[in-house]
Amino acid sequence: MLSSRLSRALFRTLMVLAAAMFLLPLLWMLNTSTLSEQQAASGQVLVAPGGLGQTAARVAENYRRVWTDEAVNFPLYLRNTLIVAALSVVGMTLSSAVVAYGLARIEFKGRGAVFALVLATMMIPFPVIMAPLYLAFRELGWIGTLLPLWVPAWFGGAFNIFLLRQFYRTIPRELDEAARIDGLGHVGIFLRIILPLSKPALAVVALFHFIYVWNDFLGPLIFLTHRDQYTLALGLQMYQSQAGLTPWNLLMAASAMVIAPILILFMLTQRTFVQGAATEGLKE
Amino acid sequence: MSRRAVLGALAAGGVGFALFGPRGGRARYPGKIVLDYWEKWTQHEGAAMQRVVDAFNASQSRIHVRYIVTSAIGQKAMIAIAGGSPPDVIGLYAFDIPPYAESRAILPLDELAPRFGVTLERYKAGLRPIMTHDVSGSPERFWGIVNTAGTVAMYYRRDLLREIGRDPDQPPRTIAELDECHRLLTKVSSAGEIERVGFLHCEPGWWNWLWPASFGGRVYDPASRKATIDSPACLAAYQWMQSYPRALGARRVGEFFDRFRTSIFSPRNSFMAGQVAMHVQGPWMANMIGQFGPGTDYGVCPVPTVSGTDEASPVGLIDTDVLVIPRGARNPEASMEFIAFTQRPDMVKQLAQDHCKINPLIEPDEEFERTHRNRGIRVHNAIASSSGAFVAPPTRAWRQYRDAVDSSVQRMWRLESEAAVELPRLNQQAQGFIDRSVDEHRRRHGLALGAASGAGDRGRA
Amino acid sequence: MSARRGIAGWVWVSPWLIGAAAFLFIPVILSLYYSFTDYPMLEPPLWAGVSNYARMLEDPTFWLVTKNTAIYVAVSVPLCTILALVLAAVMAGRSRFDRLLQAAVFIPTLVPLIAAAMLWLWMFNGELGLVNRALGLIGIDGPSWLTDRAWVMPALIIMSLWGVGQSVVIYIAALQDVPRQMYEAAKLDGMTAPRRFWHVTLPMLSPVILFNVITLTINAVQVFAIPFVMFRQVDGQNPAGYFYSMYLYDNAFQYGQMGYACAMAWVQLLVIVALTLVMFAASKRLVYYRAA
Repeated sequence: MLSSRLSRALFRTLMVLAAAMFLLPLLWMLNTSTLSEQQAASGQVLVAPGGLGQTAARVAENYRRVWTDEAVNFPLYLRNTLIVAALSVVGMTLSSAVVAYGLARIEFKGRGAVFALVLATMMIPFPVIMAPLYLAFRELGWIGTLLPLWVPAWFGGAFNIFLLRQFYRTIPRELDEAARIDGLGHVGIFLRIILPLSKPALAVVALFHFIYVWNDFLGPLIFLTHRDQYTLALGLQMYQSQAGLTPWNLLMAASAMVIAPILILFMLTQRTFVQGAATEGLKE
Repeated sequence: MSRRAVLGALAAGGVGFALFGPRGGRARYPGKIVLDYWEKWTQHEGAAMQRVVDAFNASQSRIHVRYIVTSAIGQKAMIAIAGGSPPDVIGLYAFDIPPYAESRAILPLDELAPRFGVTLERYKAGLRPIMTHDVSGSPERFWGIVNTAGTVAMYYRRDLLREIGRDPDQPPRTIAELDECHRLLTKVSSAGEIERVGFLHCEPGWWNWLWPASFGGRVYDPASRKATIDSPACLAAYQWMQSYPRALGARRVGEFFDRFRTSIFSPRNSFMAGQVAMHVQGPWMANMIGQFGPGTDYGVCPVPTVSGTDEASPVGLIDTDVLVIPRGARNPEASMEFIAFTQRPDMVKQLAQDHCKINPLIEPDEEFERTHRNRGIRVHNAIASSSGAFVAPPTRAWRQYRDAVDSSVQRMWRLESEAAVELPRLNQQAQGFIDRSVDEHRRRHGLALGAASGAGDRGRA
Repeated sequence: MSARRGIAGWVWVSPWLIGAAAFLFIPVILSLYYSFTDYPMLEPPLWAGVSNYARMLEDPTFWLVTKNTAIYVAVSVPLCTILALVLAAVMAGRSRFDRLLQAAVFIPTLVPLIAAAMLWLWMFNGELGLVNRALGLIGIDGPSWLTDRAWVMPALIIMSLWGVGQSVVIYIAALQDVPRQMYEAAKLDGMTAPRRFWHVTLPMLSPVILFNVITLTINAVQVFAIPFVMFRQVDGQNPAGYFYSMYLYDNAFQYGQMGYACAMAWVQLLVIVALTLVMFAASKRLVYYRAA
């Protein structure tokens, strides 16, 4: 009995260590962002050297320097990112919900084919369409604007449509029938029944799309030309690539600033997150 | 529910910031022509250029120039010009001129620049080939204006030369002398670890195609549009380069180099730390020394050659930054007015001093050289007017060619491949790039590409 | 009635159809057309036959990036899958403790790729990075991860393992769906825990594993942002950290060779389709589908 309890404790310790390995890089980053340039480059592992007061002063100094950097305008990039995120999250959630309704609740000829097409497009790698997409946006005069980053979201995304369709199929059909007897059409059913019942799934779509926008790098890299339009991901890369002169403590502070909102969001919506991530593995 | 409240507050804050947050925009200068000037420089180099921009903005009241730092500027500029939303002035690299000119991504300046008093004759002879490029079917050949310029020379530690009993005022002039100094300066610990290297080709590794010039070779022949990196002179150059890792051990020298490869811009720079006694660099090296290793006792001399440095016409590479006006710029006249301002001798010299680069203009250099922070600026200045100066091959395919050279040199440096085998292969690959660009241009325009009749080819590869 | 309903269906799915046509299908077709042309962004495309495809055969850089990408996919996907399965198996509980562990493993997947790249640049820094300092503690002189060509790939694979959380969460969700009776039965048969995992859990998970492996593979084939940030330095590209999508990007936007880039993109698409089909075919024998 004792040995089994011992092995259990050992096993738990091992698991905690394994999990800690995943968080260690982030803690290391956070710690570096609280050091002075010399301390970060000192070759020693320092945690809050000089006491809490000095550490707090250094934190304030580092983050202030990043936030007010002359060449890399983080406040502006945050604003741009939020604009793109807001517009495309709303568009993505709404349009995916509509299309998924069509695929889940309406019988029509060719539905199977459309659904197969939706699934198949998940395989198309972005590089395949990157160049012609750039040229198409050029024809539209959208290069150098934020439009290419959020307009496509208003036409739905394959994965989100798939996810919502799966969810809708779990909503009992009888509800539709009852609503139809009450004289509701598809729009009514969609608005009064399906949407309210699928809130959790819609939250997953919105959340994941928000993260996607926040993280997207290749899109902004190609479609944005002017520094005033940069998003955070692009700005962070620019901050890093200035001639290799940026000190590590500031680089880590900048990275932490970009990561923090996502982590806060995660803390607040952990359950939705994990459910959403898990549905990604769903297959029929 | 409190969680939901926090989420709601966050969302409201985000939307509020999106609506009312900071703006870029050009609205702040009503009634003025606002020009966007993209440049690659940040930090003190950026600040120096910003001072020029500020001086221009203060000098007149019609035009306002915004200095905008843009990283990976070559790609960003191409994407913006092709996408129809270019800035008004761009600071590119010298090697960008041929591809940009041939695809007409930039405006010719033949007529525009002289009207604002900017003529080729004002610049040192070695720089003129950079500003011009012959494009078939077009009479224009003036595409960009040298903004700042550097030439590549050898930096050596005077104190270390003294240590091996050599007069620090007599740096090596021939390859044989360089080899000898290298041998004497190199120190290997008893454990077999390299502690110091006399001369290191791959530090900083920015000009891997530099060595043929010291053996009288060139990597490209513009007249026949042939890659010539398999010529006997080039072969000799890279075999010489390979003799270094061969003597020291490729693995050891690789490990040694990897130790400070990412530390060029830091006090751990190998030259200032005394781990590499001699290497090639541009004049800005003095700035780096001032910042990261003040007190380093350095000397500057032209890169040695097989036959020995000729004081009258030292051999050296010229590497410059150029200002261009992109196709689609809204107001080329205003752009040019700004560029012309930056080319006033006082502006040019001040920027060169701040960046620690050479004076690109034909001007009396005494005062400039006396006040310059680089004690070897005379060497750098002389190369820009020398008949031994050379610039990047004037071909659109150079970018790819150069990238191929970089990976071949890495292979040769690690002795994974012999120069005699590697170079013919590289040459064939490079010729493929060149032929493809020439062939494409011919099919597109039905004309031979820039028949090499231009006088602009003087001093060129 | 049924005809009207038919139209209604098409109306509801039309947003996606229009969007996909504009932003997916037409670009894909155009991309195919461009792949047969010379197309420097600034000038119109010029028909070039199959020369772009022929050129790949003799382009050493193409083979370099293909080799790097293939190695990355072949090593990182299986390792990630194995690690994810192991972690999922040991953390699948619903207790608070297990939840915390799951969150810890999942958090790295939320880190934006650019920030992750910078973080690992710092972690792998030759002299100051945490990795080499930790190795130093146990007496190992760590390599120059980011500059030594032999260590670039291992560094990238370690980073991909750090992002394994998504797969772990998916497997945990699938594990929780496995009926308890199956375990009870296996226990009664006297199976040990590892054998139960092998004979019960894996077969039950196999459809999810297949789907996840396919997703991981498609993503790994396209790897771009992390090596783009980490291995593109002032002195050029580290050849060991040069990948297919990066070379494709360079051709399109750096060398002005859209045509070649599109040809490479189509080869990439075909490879992805082929890999997916092969995995489906191979899995016929290995994947166990519960009777629905």
